[in-house]
Amino acid sequence: MALYEGPVQNLIDELGRLPGVGPKSAQRIAFYLLKAAPEDAKRLAQSIVDAKDRVSWCRRCFNIAEGELCAFCKDERRDATLLCIVEEPRDIVAIERTAEFRGRYHVLQGAISPIEGVGPDQLRVKELLHRISGEGVEEIILATNPNIEGEATAMYLARLLKPAGIRVTRIASGLPVGGDLEYADEVTLGRAFEGRREVDA
Amino acid sequence: MVAGDVAYVEQVQLRDFRCFASLDLSLAPGVTVIVGANGAGKTSLLEAVGWIARARSFRGVTDSALVARGSEQAILRADVVHGERRQLLEAEIRATGRNRVLLNRHPIVRTRDLYGLLRVTMFAPDDLQLVKGGPAERREYLDDLLGMLAPRYDAARSDFDRVLRQRNALLKGGLRDPDDDSTLVVFDEQLVRAGAEIVRGRLRLLARLHPLIVEMYEEVSGSSAPLDGTYQAEWAEAPLHEGDADAVDNLLRQALVARRKQELDRGITLVGPHRDDWRIVLNDLDARAQASQGEQRTLALALRLAGHELITDLSGAAPVLLLDDVFSELDAPRASALIRRLPGGQTLVTTASAIPEGVEPQRFLRVAGGTVEAE
Repeated sequence: MALYEGPVQNLIDELGRLPGVGPKSAQRIAFYLLKAAPEDAKRLAQSIVDAKDRVSWCRRCFNIAEGELCAFCKDERRDATLLCIVEEPRDIVAIERTAEFRGRYHVLQGAISPIEGVGPDQLRVKELLHRISGEGVEEIILATNPNIEGEATAMYLARLLKPAGIRVTRIASGLPVGGDLEYADEVTLGRAFEGRREVDA
Repeated sequence: MVAGDVAYVEQVQLRDFRCFASLDLSLAPGVTVIVGANGAGKTSLLEAVGWIARARSFRGVTDSALVARGSEQAILRADVVHGERRQLLEAEIRATGRNRVLLNRHPIVRTRDLYGLLRVTMFAPDDLQLVKGGPAERREYLDDLLGMLAPRYDAARSDFDRVLRQRNALLKGGLRDPDDDSTLVVFDEQLVRAGAEIVRGRLRLLARLHPLIVEMYEEVSGSSAPLDGTYQAEWAEAPLHEGDADAVDNLLRQALVARRKQELDRGITLVGPHRDDWRIVLNDLDARAQASQGEQRTLALALRLAGHELITDLSGAAPVLLLDDVFSELDAPRASALIRRLPGGQTLVTTASAIPEGVEPQRFLRVAGGTVEAE
């Protein structure tokens, strides 16, 4: 049911298709834009067009890239024998903030989720296999999310890659550093207990 | 037990909560009997206390049902005392949209953060369904107790539900893709991990619970009756017992292999704790189908009381006990015996009829016309 004049309703419909934007928010944003100065609205429209024109997927790792390769794939100082597998480009940003990892990345662009019709074929798995044989990778670090879909994806990849004689590791889950045990949520703390290890002395 | 060990609710303030436009109520540890006509709001009072513990109604209704007609939100404030510690819970329960819940004036992000505040055991006449209803009711009874004993069971439960949905989607698709087979193997392994944790938990829980249920049934009915329970899993060849707990992983794995074709034909997951039943046998008869209505009521009450006793034993402090309309289940001698032997926490008992002879509560409250008076 269209409640508004053509272009306004179109705008609300388009905004409503964005993730996390419900019908009420879509309406609010649409009216904000209608009231905004024309140059403000045009700048927003232009930045969407620019981003779509100039940004694409890195040919090698499927991170976002301006050009053929992303910044990490272009950087020759990064260790090509270490490959970290993530679900989304934003996971790379999180890992980069640690400044611990100096290898390269591979972005699957999702996780296995039959409910959403996503299987290994819909992910960048074939491209991953291709890279492993071509780039001298020695260790794969599985850094998919610690939820059901991420664990399933990690397990799938581990089963696929282990027979090829490559070292496959999974990031650990546990307590946030610098916090108090008292404030840790019960499930994380419970899993941290399960994964306890002996102290070197 | 020292009163200081037990958490109890000292003050409850309600605004636009069901039939209470504005209510300020003081409560005390020990046994309080709440008297009032049907529809006066006795159960709603228990519902408010229950909400503090779980941030939802035990009546299985959505929060919008708690908001008085014509209002946008109900307000629930409660002081919970635990030893020297006094905590303040404030909840704005909205008819539409997200609730706002503050604990000691700080907003709570996840409902789970509230669970440590207060433990509650609830018995309501609807609990007859624990005995009379389908297997799902009894699974929920067991799983709720497990969640109270260790939060990781709540996590295992939500993990398992998620695995089940993913795996069913895969099975329903009929594994057309050549990759689907290796994807299924991965979800099999996840199903075993989460499913085995739940089954192991239930088996160990049942072993501890059984003697308490027998004891409580005797207590409430005044006579002993042979009472047995078997944990039945379609995917296992024989009923499971506590001694099978360590073998559950392997049993699930074997069943997944054996049932593969059947699961594919039907497009659903047939192996796992989501289809199990805990069958209760009373006097050698199936309690669900063959026990009398009176026996079923007594058994339902015994299940709740046994759970209460177990949580009290294991945690060292009795949860708040809410008994809705419990005297209609019991004759006078049994009612007074029951009240006398309750663990020494806070107990709220509602009744529409006269208080059975011999029951001597510490306090009386009378509910009428949206107000509560102490007697």
